[in-house]
Amino acid sequence: MKTWALIVDTWREALARYTLMGFLAVSSLFLLILTFALNLDIVDGALAAGTLFGKSFDLPGKGPAIDTVVVTGQSVFAGMLYVLGVFLAVFATGSQVPNLQHRGTVDLYVTRPIGRTHLLLGRFLGAATLVSANLLFLCGGVFVIISLKTHIWNPRFLAASGLILAVFLSYLGFMYLVGVLTSSTPLSIMLPYALYLLSVPLAAHNRLAAAMDSRLAACVVHTLYWVFPKTAEIGRDLTGYVLGKGTLAVVPFATTMVFGAVCLAGAVVAFNRKNF
Amino acid sequence: MGTVPATLRRFENMTVVPNVCLDVDTLPTVIATRRLTKEFWHWRRRLLALDGVDLEVHRGEVFGLLGANGAGKTTLVKILLGLARPTIGEVLVRGSSPRRADARRRIGYLPEEHRFPGYLTGDASLRLFGRLAGAPEKVLDTRIPELLDRVGLGERGRDRVGRYSKGMTQRLGLACALLDEPDLLFLDEPTDGVDPVGRRQIRDILLATREQGTTVFINSHLLSEVERTCDRVAILHQGRVVREGTVRDLTTPTQRFRLRLAEGRAVPAEHLADDGLRVATNDGCLEVEVADLETLNRLVDRLRSDRLLIAEVTPVRTALEDVFIEVVEGEEHGPGSFENRPRATGHGPGGGR
Repeated sequence: MKTWALIVDTWREALARYTLMGFLAVSSLFLLILTFALNLDIVDGALAAGTLFGKSFDLPGKGPAIDTVVVTGQSVFAGMLYVLGVFLAVFATGSQVPNLQHRGTVDLYVTRPIGRTHLLLGRFLGAATLVSANLLFLCGGVFVIISLKTHIWNPRFLAASGLILAVFLSYLGFMYLVGVLTSSTPLSIMLPYALYLLSVPLAAHNRLAAAMDSRLAACVVHTLYWVFPKTAEIGRDLTGYVLGKGTLAVVPFATTMVFGAVCLAGAVVAFNRKNF
Repeated sequence: MGTVPATLRRFENMTVVPNVCLDVDTLPTVIATRRLTKEFWHWRRRLLALDGVDLEVHRGEVFGLLGANGAGKTTLVKILLGLARPTIGEVLVRGSSPRRADARRRIGYLPEEHRFPGYLTGDASLRLFGRLAGAPEKVLDTRIPELLDRVGLGERGRDRVGRYSKGMTQRLGLACALLDEPDLLFLDEPTDGVDPVGRRQIRDILLATREQGTTVFINSHLLSEVERTCDRVAILHQGRVVREGTVRDLTTPTQRFRLRLAEGRAVPAEHLADDGLRVATNDGCLEVEVADLETLNRLVDRLRSDRLLIAEVTPVRTALEDVFIEVVEGEEHGPGSFENRPRATGHGPGGGR
C-alpha cells in the first residue's frame, strides 16, 4: 500500500507538471502520422512506392526489400529514441528528489511511519513505471503500426526499448544521488547530461589514453571509462542489434548497470543519514 | 534480542527494550531526552543548537516548548521526530529511537511552514499521507471527510492545496497530523497564520484531543496560546532548558490583588493611594499591591465600612510572558550568561530550521 501510494504520487506529480501529458501528446502525434500519413506500396516483398501526407515518393525500378526498409527504419528510430528518450526522461524526472527534499515537504513524508529507504525506492519505482509506460506506448505503438502495415515483425525493436529503459534507470540512480546530496534540480539534470556527453569521447578511451603525455592522465581516462556509464557504446550496439547485425556487448551494459546501482545505493545511504 | 545498552539504562522511570516499540500504556514517560546536544558546522564555525537538553514529557499532558527565535526549539522537535540526529545524547520516544520507522506509528506532526505538494487536493493530500501511515482505504474513506469537516475545510477538500490560503494550509496540516489517530502529537507553531476564530477552533481541537489521552507537544512563541493550552512548559534559551514546570507553578501569585466592586461602581483609588497602597486601574478594576494578607483584609474592611459591595477579590498571577522575558533576560545578563558562547542563530545546515 505504501509503495503503491508513492507510485501514484509520482504519477500525479508528472500529470500536474504536464510532463506525462506532453510526452503522451508528442508520442500520440507521431503514432497518428505513422498510421494515417504514411502509406507504403509493397510489391513482391519490395517497397515499390509510398506516400507521406499524400505526397508520393516513387522508387525507380524495383525498390529495396521491405524487411530491409523496416529494420533500417526501426534501427534509426531506436537510435534517435535512445538519445532523445533518455534526455527527455532525465529532464522529466530531474526534479523528483529535490522536490521531495523541499523544506516543509520532506518533514511531512519522513515523519510518517515509513523507512527512508522505502520512501526513496518507492519514488524510484514510480519514476521507473512512468518512463516504462511512456516508452512502451511509443515503441509498442511504432512496432504494432509498422508491423501491421508491412507484415514484418522485428522483436529486436521491442527489446531495444527495454535496453533504453535500463540505461535510463542507471541515469536515474545517478540523478537520485545528485538530488539527495545537493537538493538541486538544475544539477540533477545537468550532471547526467554531462555524463551522457562524456561517454562519447570515453568510448575511444584506448586512443585517448595513448595520446596522453603521462601515465597518470592515461590511467584517469581508463578509470573514467570503467566507472561511468558507457552510453555511446551501448547506443552503437543498440542500433546494430535492431538491424540484426550484431549482439549486445555484455561488459558495457553490465558496468553501466553497476554504476546506476551503486549510485542508487549511495543515494539511499545519504538519504538515510541526512538531517532535515 | 541484544542486551540493553548502558546509555539507555540511565533513563529513569522507564522500561527500555531496545529495538522494540513498547505499549505506551506501560510508559508514563512518553518523551525522554538525556544530555541532548546538537551542533552544526558552518564554514569551520561550530554552532551549538542544543546544549545538553534533559527533558521528560509524560503521557496525556500538553507540553509547551517556549523559546525565542534560534533558541533551538525546532531542532529539538526534529530530533524527537527522527528528522535529525543528535550530536551527543540520547532520545527515546515511547521507548524507542524515533529514527525507527515503526516507532513513528500514531505520531502526528504539524511542521512549521509545512508545504503540501501543490498538485494535490486537500483530500488527496490526506489520502497520500494516510496511505504512507499504513491506514486502510476504508478507514481513510470515513476519516478524511470527518477530519476536513473538523478543521473547517469540509467544502474545500476537492480544491488544490496550491490555492489554499496560509490559514487553510495550516488547518490541513493539523488534519494531516491527526490522521493517524495519534497518541503523541507534535505541533510546531500550530496557530501560525491562522485568524483568531481559527485559533480558537485549533485550541478546541487540541483540548478535545487531549481529552482522548493524546500527549501533545507544542512548540510556540505565542505565549498566551501556550498559557491557555499547556499543562507544563519548558523555556529553551540558547539551546538549554533554563526553566521547566507547570504553567501554574511558573505563573506564581504575586502580592497584587484585583478588586472589583458590584454594579460597576468605581473604587476610590485616590483615597487608597493616600493610605500608602500602590494601586493601578486596569479594565475598570483596581489592582492593589499589598505587603501581606493582613493589609488586604484591612482594605476590604474599609471598603465594606463605606458600604461598598465587593464583587471580586482575586490574586493576580504573573503572566507567562513576564516569566519568559524575565528568564531570558536573566540568562543573557546574569551570572550564567551565554553571551560568549558560539550560537546557532537560525536554523542549522542540512535543511534544518
